[in-house]
Amino acid sequence: MIARAATLLMVAALVFPVTHLGAGDHDTPRQMLERMTAAMSQMSYQGTFVYVQGNVVETMRITHVSDEAGIREHLVAVSGPPREVIRDSNGVRWVLADDESVFEDAGFNRTFFPELPIDQHDQTESSYQMKRGGAARIAGHQARNLKILPKDEFRYGYSLWLEEQSGLLMKWELIDGKNNVLAKLMFTDVRLGSEVDKSELKPASQLKKFKTVASGLPSGRSSGKSVPRWQPDQLPPGFELAMHRSLQKQDDGIYEHMVYSDGLAAVSVYIESGEVTDDMPVEVRKIGTTHALTRSAGDMLITVVGDVPAVTVQMIGDGIEISSP
Amino acid sequence: MSKETREHLSALVDGEISPDTSRFLVKRLGSDPELRATWTRYHLVRDCLRHQDGAMAGDDLCARISKAIENEQPERHRRFISPRWLKPASGLAIAASVALMAITVVGPGRLGTTLPNGEVAEGSGVQQFTSPQSLTPAPASNQVSLSGGLYNNDAKMNAYLLRHYQASGATGRKGFVPYIPMVTIGTKLSDEAEQAKRKADPETSEEEDSGSR
Repeated sequence: MIARAATLLMVAALVFPVTHLGAGDHDTPRQMLERMTAAMSQMSYQGTFVYVQGNVVETMRITHVSDEAGIREHLVAVSGPPREVIRDSNGVRWVLADDESVFEDAGFNRTFFPELPIDQHDQTESSYQMKRGGAARIAGHQARNLKILPKDEFRYGYSLWLEEQSGLLMKWELIDGKNNVLAKLMFTDVRLGSEVDKSELKPASQLKKFKTVASGLPSGRSSGKSVPRWQPDQLPPGFELAMHRSLQKQDDGIYEHMVYSDGLAAVSVYIESGEVTDDMPVEVRKIGTTHALTRSAGDMLITVVGDVPAVTVQMIGDGIEISSP
Repeated sequence: MSKETREHLSALVDGEISPDTSRFLVKRLGSDPELRATWTRYHLVRDCLRHQDGAMAGDDLCARISKAIENEQPERHRRFISPRWLKPASGLAIAASVALMAITVVGPGRLGTTLPNGEVAEGSGVQQFTSPQSLTPAPASNQVSLSGGLYNNDAKMNAYLLRHYQASGATGRKGFVPYIPMVTIGTKLSDEAEQAKRKADPETSEEEDSGSR
């Protein structure tokens, strides 16, 4: 019986060979998104892209390698002051060469891509309107457009151009609810797979000569409850708790990090004890396309950060009531 | 094309140009095919010099950049404060490149009408989302501080941002994209700070300009 089944499988494989389908005519928007996710993480790629946000036009170089040694990534500005971001199994390092300093954070327990607890596809489709767009040629590659439009004012939208065969991101636009482009990037050249020059993973700067500054945030496995001590009493529609870390600080104080996500946008909520000496007012700041809210509650510092409109960090930040732990 | 224009274009490619000149040049790129061709050529030359097997940036790049900039709406109610939280607690000057960092402070009570870049989707063509649960409006916040430096540890926000970008790259399936602000932050915010300073005190800025000449 088993032998017959195996024979049938072999015949089926010969008659119906598995063919590689590109992100062309058949993929649904959701499938395109899944292909992009896999390509961005699991492929090796290297390229130069132009990033535009406001008055800034910056050229950058990305090298992303996924091989038997793991996933490593190097992002560097090729003009202006030398600044780099290096990601590998040791965490993330932010290099400011003009200051000869390296700011580093071990982050997620020394794992490069943490496991995510929930499948957020349904969230994504309820919060965004996704539709396929036309085709275009970008950096010598055929690309297909995927539009992801926000259904409300609590999130930004995206216009993505994905390489036809691999699904790799070739062009990215961040758009608001009125279809205004807030930021964009586009590759001008891309190398894939074996064409990637791994030597570019090395930092452009002599890091051994640089000062190292640790982030100072606790890291490691979550030591506390699986359920956050405090949660916002209201969340923008579509956002759910995607990750939670409760760590003990060196002074035995509290460090809680919750990430709320709608499947695409993510908002971090940090609650730390012992960080506030005086009562502080609510403050919302804009840093590039990121909004950050800070406020105090007793000696607790509450910080909400996300690539979302200000109204979103405002709602989440205002909804956190700190009671005794 | 004048020598000065070529020099400006070269500076634009290298990201070493003043914001005002950059804005003027990018607008001109949208309407001047010769300038556009030169821009593309400069990119190609630069890429080749860096041994990147430079592919052409594409003729439509400048047009798209120009359109993006033209689409920008004037930002209102922006206040810029000293970014003391971007300096590390150790006293090391890691944030030297972001020392002029400018931060927008949005008054919570004005949300929905004063956000920059038209971020609130009023009148959006997209069908409005109806939440399965009724949501109460965000409660009014306390007053907005313009002083900055709210933390007793100034590196705190840097650390929060860095860790958030790790989280958002993982949850949002966006790969390296969340990290781009870490690379651009110095340039962008320095530019914004410079513009804000000029708007806030044009006379002082002019004096400084003339003094530096």
